[in-house]
Amino acid sequence: MVGRAATTGQAFRATLKRDLIIAYKRKNDVVNPFMFFLIVATMFPIGISPDPDRLGEIAAGVLWISALLASLLAMDNLFRADYEDGSLEQLLLSPHPLYFLVLAKNISHWLVSGLPVVLVSPLIAYMLNLPDAAYSIIFITLLIGTPVFSLLGSIGVSLTVSLGSRGLILAVITLPMSVPVLIAGTLTVQETLNGASLGGYLAIMGAMLVGALTLAPLASAAALRISVN
Amino acid sequence: MWLWFSKLGSPKWFYELSGRWLPWLVIPMALLLVVGIVWALLFVPPDYQQGETIRIMYIHVPFASISLAFFPLMAVAGTITLVWKMKLADMVAKVAAPLGAWFTALALMSGSIWGSDIWGTWWIWDGRLTSMLLQFFLLIGVISLRSALEDSDAAAKACAVLSIVGCINVFVIKYSVEWWNTLHQPASSFSLSDEAPNPPEVWVPLVIMIIAIYLFFAVSLILSTRNEILERERRAQWVQDLVEAQ
Repeated sequence: MVGRAATTGQAFRATLKRDLIIAYKRKNDVVNPFMFFLIVATMFPIGISPDPDRLGEIAAGVLWISALLASLLAMDNLFRADYEDGSLEQLLLSPHPLYFLVLAKNISHWLVSGLPVVLVSPLIAYMLNLPDAAYSIIFITLLIGTPVFSLLGSIGVSLTVSLGSRGLILAVITLPMSVPVLIAGTLTVQETLNGASLGGYLAIMGAMLVGALTLAPLASAAALRISVN
Repeated sequence: MWLWFSKLGSPKWFYELSGRWLPWLVIPMALLLVVGIVWALLFVPPDYQQGETIRIMYIHVPFASISLAFFPLMAVAGTITLVWKMKLADMVAKVAAPLGAWFTALALMSGSIWGSDIWGTWWIWDGRLTSMLLQFFLLIGVISLRSALEDSDAAAKACAVLSIVGCINVFVIKYSVEWWNTLHQPASSFSLSDEAPNPPEVWVPLVIMIIAIYLFFAVSLILSTRNEILERERRAQWVQDLVEAQ
């Protein structure tokens, strides 16, 4: 391998692998968003009502909002450590298209912070008394929707990575942008429960995911080049 | 064409040119505003359904329609900033964000006052209201990003990226929120077009007000851009000459 430049595919896999290893060694970053999701979802029955019927009505929304907030909280460590130790600059200097490297970081970040939330969502759905028929739907829609949250969030993180205190500004930028996904996700659950067919709604969510996958890393890459100079 | 384009990018040239333009915008604006407001508030016949409350429309509709222009404007200015690094484009983008937040807030508030009488509530989660509110939040996001970044060059580019992303997003939000709303509650038609054809004495003052508010938008944008030019170029010789001449 000496003297041969790595292909973009190799660089993509190397970035993915590196981030996964780092996440494995810093288990807090993995556990915190997951615990945050569980705790936020627990606050709703306490704050609103323990009545199963009322909980059943709001369960889909509670799950989606908790997932959105958990994703927002987790976004902070997407680029922060890399920015602080300088490896983000190395990433920007790499000859490979930044799009793929940002995408690799996004994927690994979602695998460790988004996927656990999706996996545990049927359990929370049960505790919130969501109708049985909706377990699989909430699982599938969250599986499609949370990567979009991550991709949109990564634009906000890229823009604010050089700021000292940025938690609130990140929320102000990211949350309004996430609204279409939130709407699509909760509508899919509600309307399928009302008897609509799942296909059309999933197609719209899929379109959002494809759109975000194509455009968001481009915007993140442009933003990173601005933030790090 | 390109010479003109690069000339336009020079803050000094724009300052001088806009100084000459301003009277031609301010005078029609003042005339139309006076005519439009007097006509709308005093002479338009009360609506057969809404009574005197219909007069709020003459404020609300112009503000609501112009506030939709801000994100496209900021996205275009942002693209120019990123591609040609034109200082003037960023100045326009910078002053457009707070201005847009004000216009959006005025549209929301005037609509809320109108709604309190017609719908019996100050706020409902109607599609248009919600998408306006979200646009307001997105503009606040642009403003706070600008103020958080200290380096003005980085702030210009970062806000340009956010404006472009936000512009795409505003349209997605608009359609998704309307989709959400229409599925949730029966379509309630509040729009003008659903009514019987309006007589000219109703829509002519509306057109006058819309043109007047558009001119008001142009004038406020130019005035705040001129302020921004003076502030950023305060060390330039021509600005100091200008200050001394006064």
